[in-house]
Amino acid sequence: MSTNELTLTAEKKRTIALKITTYVVSILLAMLILSPFILMLYQTFGEEIKMVNGAGDNRYLEIKPRDHIITWKEFKGLFSEGDFIGFKNSMIVTCISTFLNIYFSAITAYAITAYEWKLRAAFEKFIIVAMMVPATVSTIGFVQMCYKYHLINNLIMLIIPALATPMTVFFMRMYLKATFSRDIVESARIDGAGEFRIFNQIILPLMKPAIATQTIFCFVASWSNEWVPRIILIEGESRTLPIMGSYQGSQLLMAIPPLILYLFLSKYIVEGIALGSVKA
Amino acid sequence: MRNKNHIERHYTKWGYFFIIPFVVVFLAFNFWPLASTLYYAFCDLKHAGNTHPDFLPSIGKPLFKNFTEVLKAKYFHSALKNSFFFFLASTIPEWLLAFWLAAMMTDRRMRIKGRFIWKTAFFFPKLIAGTALAGSLLIQFISIVANGTGYSVAAFAMNGFGITADDMKFFTSVQFIIIVVSIFMHFGITFIYAVAGITGIPVETFEAAEIDGATRTSIFFRITLPCIKPMLFFITVVSVVDGIGMYDLPSYFGSFDTTRSNLTLMMYMQNQAFQGSYAYDKASAISLIILGIYIILAVIIYFILLRDKDEIQLKKLIRQERRELKKGI
Repeated sequence: MSTNELTLTAEKKRTIALKITTYVVSILLAMLILSPFILMLYQTFGEEIKMVNGAGDNRYLEIKPRDHIITWKEFKGLFSEGDFIGFKNSMIVTCISTFLNIYFSAITAYAITAYEWKLRAAFEKFIIVAMMVPATVSTIGFVQMCYKYHLINNLIMLIIPALATPMTVFFMRMYLKATFSRDIVESARIDGAGEFRIFNQIILPLMKPAIATQTIFCFVASWSNEWVPRIILIEGESRTLPIMGSYQGSQLLMAIPPLILYLFLSKYIVEGIALGSVKA
Repeated sequence: MRNKNHIERHYTKWGYFFIIPFVVVFLAFNFWPLASTLYYAFCDLKHAGNTHPDFLPSIGKPLFKNFTEVLKAKYFHSALKNSFFFFLASTIPEWLLAFWLAAMMTDRRMRIKGRFIWKTAFFFPKLIAGTALAGSLLIQFISIVANGTGYSVAAFAMNGFGITADDMKFFTSVQFIIIVVSIFMHFGITFIYAVAGITGIPVETFEAAEIDGATRTSIFFRITLPCIKPMLFFITVVSVVDGIGMYDLPSYFGSFDTTRSNLTLMMYMQNQAFQGSYAYDKASAISLIILGIYIILAVIIYFILLRDKDEIQLKKLIRQERRELKKGI
């Protein structure tokens, strides 16, 4: 009996030690990760950059701490016109491409899961293969295509390709594999719902956690995408935010949309896949 | 039963119908560019905006000219070496940290609180601006820290211990900063996916293991990892794609210099295709080499993670039994 108690306390001791280690490591990591961003906020709001006339015709930039709280006029001065053009373009590209990506990935994953068509297994294998070949490999062909059909500076070339993203399809398929039940679909069919309606009104709401998780990742990836825009968006008017804009203003504008999206969606992504398997 | 099959068949056409948009866009914007990249690699295609490739043998040049030129280039060797170095040196510590923390945070007996806060904090660099600005911020910050510690450790080491300032050089170098920042940027994603995968395992599995007296390490290696195999596959692919294709972070240090310390494969490809001579043909050859690397890694990952050994063995057994039955008859 006493040995049993002894091992129990030893076990407890170890658990507590591990617990403390975990907390310490997490807190240190979080602090290390977050500190540059606090520095950034300080630089934006707490410091002033001024042109100073030096000796002769020389001018130089001087950075010094602000002695007062930032005023509205100074705040407006942080942004240039290019920032807003870039913001608008980025918004258009990111919102539409994220929507297309999520919706069509979900419908493709549903097609693999719900229907027993002949090429189903082959198509699933194909998705896995395609997932491991990122689109960046075929950049040259893509850019040549843009040249040929005069689509340089066209935002469409950033939007449409997002529709076919094997990575998202694989993730959705993984989720549907765990959650999907044929009974729901069959009872909806008996009630006379069409296939398309079943997907939109029954399956999509069921996939909420997977959709939320992927929405955030796709939005961030598209929002900060630099690779293709840098090559095909040459005119200033059509540039997206990551490749244009002033230093301080664009930093702030870049940070805001993903943060807002995360605040809205985070309650769904928390235990993303967990909801799935418990039901299954 | 026949009737039910008939009904099922009636619906299967919707399966084809639903994948049409995906297939069409994939063929047009992924497959076709890839195929043309393959063709351009065997062509002569230079100068900005040129869209008229000449097939190499038709203008009297060897077929593999682009490949031999690329493979000979000193820059290519540095790029290849750097890409793998960055990929391995950032992925291994990142995974150890992410999986350890994920396992600790999901441990039922420890009940770590505020998982949501940790997740948000770790994901923050990626969230706030992807690689674009967060990367530059982190680089600034870490270069300050690295330089500071580098100097202090060097000063400390001068007193003895046999460490010289040269030994510390790596920790203040561009390469070290790239590695640390890419760990920071990528850590959150791995962590979130790992936690999502682990929380998906039914609680009963862990309970049963605990009752049987399994230690934490054996639970992790014998239960957690095998149970999250599909997720592990996903995480691996994301890591490989991001790691080998690393481009944004190293390019903050400007175009590569004579030491080529921050040159990666993607940077080299971009440099060949869209700067200087606009050698689209050589860049296509580099792309194909990168593709080859991806395929080799993918095959390795597939055989380690996705191939179900038990299923293959079962199939083998069934085949054997059938053969024996036939013999018996």
